[in-house]
Amino acid sequence: MLFTNAKYVLNRILHGIPIILAIVVVNFFLIRLAPGDAAQVLAGESGAATAEYMDQIRKQFGLDQPLWIQFLNYMKNLLVFDLGYSFRHGRTIASLIIERLGATAILMGASMVLSIGLGVILGAIAAVRDRTFLSHVIVILAIVTYATPLFWVGLMLIIVFALNLGWFPTSGYETIGATLTSFDHMLDVLHHLVLPAISLSFFYMALYTRLMRASMLETLGQDYIKTARAKGLSGSRIVMAHALRNAIIPVLTMAGVQVSAMLGGSVIIESVFGWPGLGLLAYEALFSRDLNLLLGIFFLSSILVVVTNAVVDVIYTLVDPRIRLNGGRHE
Amino acid sequence: MNPIRQLLCASTLALGVAFTGWSAQAQQQGGTVVITTTPEPSLITNALSSAPTTAEVATKIFDGLLEYDMDLNPKPSLAESWEVSEDGKTVTFKLRPGVKWHDGVSFTSADVQFSLMEVVKSYHPRGKGNLGPVNSISTPDDLTVVMHLDHPYVPLIRGMSSLETPIIPKHIYEGTDFRNNPAVNAPIGTGPYRFVEWEKGSHITLERNPDYWRDGQPYLDQLIFRFIADAATRAAGIESGEIDVATFGTINPVEMRRLEKVDGISIAFGGYEAIAPVMLLELNTARPPFDKKEVRQAVAYALDRQRIIDTVWYGFGKPAVGPISSFVKGAGAWTDEGVRDFTVPDRLEIAGKLLDEAGYPMKDGKRFTFIHDAAAFGEDWRRMGEVIKQQLGKIGIEVELRNRDYPTFVRAVHNEYDFDMTSSWYIGMADPTLGVQRNTWSKMINKDVPFGNSSQYSNPEVDALWEAAQTEADPAKRNDYFHQLQRILVEDSPLIWIMDMDLVAVQRDRVKDLITSPFGVRGGLYDVWVQD
Repeated sequence: MLFTNAKYVLNRILHGIPIILAIVVVNFFLIRLAPGDAAQVLAGESGAATAEYMDQIRKQFGLDQPLWIQFLNYMKNLLVFDLGYSFRHGRTIASLIIERLGATAILMGASMVLSIGLGVILGAIAAVRDRTFLSHVIVILAIVTYATPLFWVGLMLIIVFALNLGWFPTSGYETIGATLTSFDHMLDVLHHLVLPAISLSFFYMALYTRLMRASMLETLGQDYIKTARAKGLSGSRIVMAHALRNAIIPVLTMAGVQVSAMLGGSVIIESVFGWPGLGLLAYEALFSRDLNLLLGIFFLSSILVVVTNAVVDVIYTLVDPRIRLNGGRHE
Repeated sequence: MNPIRQLLCASTLALGVAFTGWSAQAQQQGGTVVITTTPEPSLITNALSSAPTTAEVATKIFDGLLEYDMDLNPKPSLAESWEVSEDGKTVTFKLRPGVKWHDGVSFTSADVQFSLMEVVKSYHPRGKGNLGPVNSISTPDDLTVVMHLDHPYVPLIRGMSSLETPIIPKHIYEGTDFRNNPAVNAPIGTGPYRFVEWEKGSHITLERNPDYWRDGQPYLDQLIFRFIADAATRAAGIESGEIDVATFGTINPVEMRRLEKVDGISIAFGGYEAIAPVMLLELNTARPPFDKKEVRQAVAYALDRQRIIDTVWYGFGKPAVGPISSFVKGAGAWTDEGVRDFTVPDRLEIAGKLLDEAGYPMKDGKRFTFIHDAAAFGEDWRRMGEVIKQQLGKIGIEVELRNRDYPTFVRAVHNEYDFDMTSSWYIGMADPTLGVQRNTWSKMINKDVPFGNSSQYSNPEVDALWEAAQTEADPAKRNDYFHQLQRILVEDSPLIWIMDMDLVAVQRDRVKDLITSPFGVRGGLYDVWVQD
């Protein structure tokens, strides 16, 4: 089964390649529709510039070349996984992305675990205790958090937990200037991670709670649950062994789709919390028209989404062994 | 005696006086100061860029030949003394002996020659302005630098700071592609702090240079620059004490007023005398309605400067009289004598009359409509647009507001000149020739270069005065040219100068002696110390 899974994932990823290429091509031309170029931004930031200075920058950035030559060069380099060079940062794009990838991965990983975990638990409780006070509280909480803007949640958490209570730092990834052992450093990063991870998971937690509740309610109405009940199984056993696994499938599907959305949400959270991740890098790249860098990040994000979806498919089979990846179901 | 030399002698004297009357408290050694600034710079060698945040970091790592006291008189830095020849066409600097680069190599006159002629003059956007007519630099020995000028150039001695003309190491840069040299983002200088690391998206760490030529300085062990994208988070950071200093523009004016009342936080005024920032509106004089002087004047009359300052900028500035900031009063370039005053009590009636004369009579409570492109520098600038709309509505001018992202804004307004009115600010610098000239000199009308004379204002009389001031050696005559310029420019109003800006920083009170130079936090910060 492991072998077939691996083969399946590989297959899915190979199928993803044309999609990723199409994304790159569309992105390449789409982002060039935005007026203004990197040289103008650099000159603008300087507050003054001479014509020679502008020419120098454009020449160095390759902006003086016709668009189709820029495109061919880009695609040629991409074939050997050379994402190019950011003249603004004076670094290769691959090195910039790799450096920032870790921070985003930690943030997104923590938020996914938090939001899926809490969402599933709260949603299940709300369904099992349907039409009780507790379930109403959970449903209202889910609606309110679902409707609350991400940045506002972030700022409120900062005001309450960082400023008033002083439990967490207001922003950043680690304590700067401190020399810590690797274990203390890990704790330090976790300490910084708490508020941004909670902020980012809020919205998704609400989403999964609502989805889980609906799915759980449906499952609990199924015939086999009635059978289990008739068999005399305890309520908790019915929920844990029979209902949960079936009800969780839509949540997993949604979580797979939401990975890309979460990457978008992390742009906001990273800028609010000064979290040095990819989202922040993309945001800056956009406003400085560092198009190669932006393309590099899009490229990586599209890979991430394709891979995540393949992985989610595999997880299905673990949660529900009846699902088969080659399209059939166990009978 | 040559007037420039007189000035220099006087300044050396003033310097001695200034030093003896220094600080009452004893400086403590050690500690870390965390500064937040925004946006994160793209490079940190300011010989190659004049971006404000690049300079904020680089001025700690590099030195200039000179520094300046609060009255903008030059004082020694890498150069111990300097002399201007009788004809003003030769300037000789004697360098400080024993100065070492952060990598241990000795600093010599060759570094100065290389930095100024090979790098700053062609790569720094203001290099041509600061070095103007310097055609060559000779180095008779390791500690002597001789600049040869085409004509006398008074601004030269005012533009030799680490902010404008930093000295970079020849042995690192010679024969390389300057912008792609790895040292650009891991700089080696002679300044008070050494570069340690740059975590992109997070922070830059600098440490004390133990071999700095100012004995015993700097006092701090570490200087850290943190980059946080969100203004509210930056404010929370200074409130929680994680950040010690927030530079201008990192915290919204309204938040600054709130933080000011918090225990342990204060506003650091001063430190922008040599930067002389002015906030203004630029009018497109090449197309209606602002091709008519009367219309421009009417708008200048109709705007309530003090109200804009109070409601949008929360009082961080004062009404501007003209193109030159009153902060440079000391040098004598500034005047309000004979300059048209737009703040008279009956200004709205005058504005109405001017518009009637210009052929824009009131019809159904309306005269004409134009578009205001608010500078894409942030929320405050958009709010200023709203206040302008409201104020001009009173005299029947309808204003449409347009807000765009930064690159779009720069291209449309400052490259394509496709705008009616836009807001902006400029740094006037210690000498008007260096900073102010660029917005009204017709040779700066160039669509390829943003932030020049975007108003496309062209007046032969004004051009002649700017050009005369460039070559005039007598400071009194130059100031007379500047006074004439102020009268003509305010009368013509191609730009409407709104406010002499207070480029204040917000600081924790544990930070002492933050502002000891006319560049403020853009100085070397070697006087800064902390009291815990």
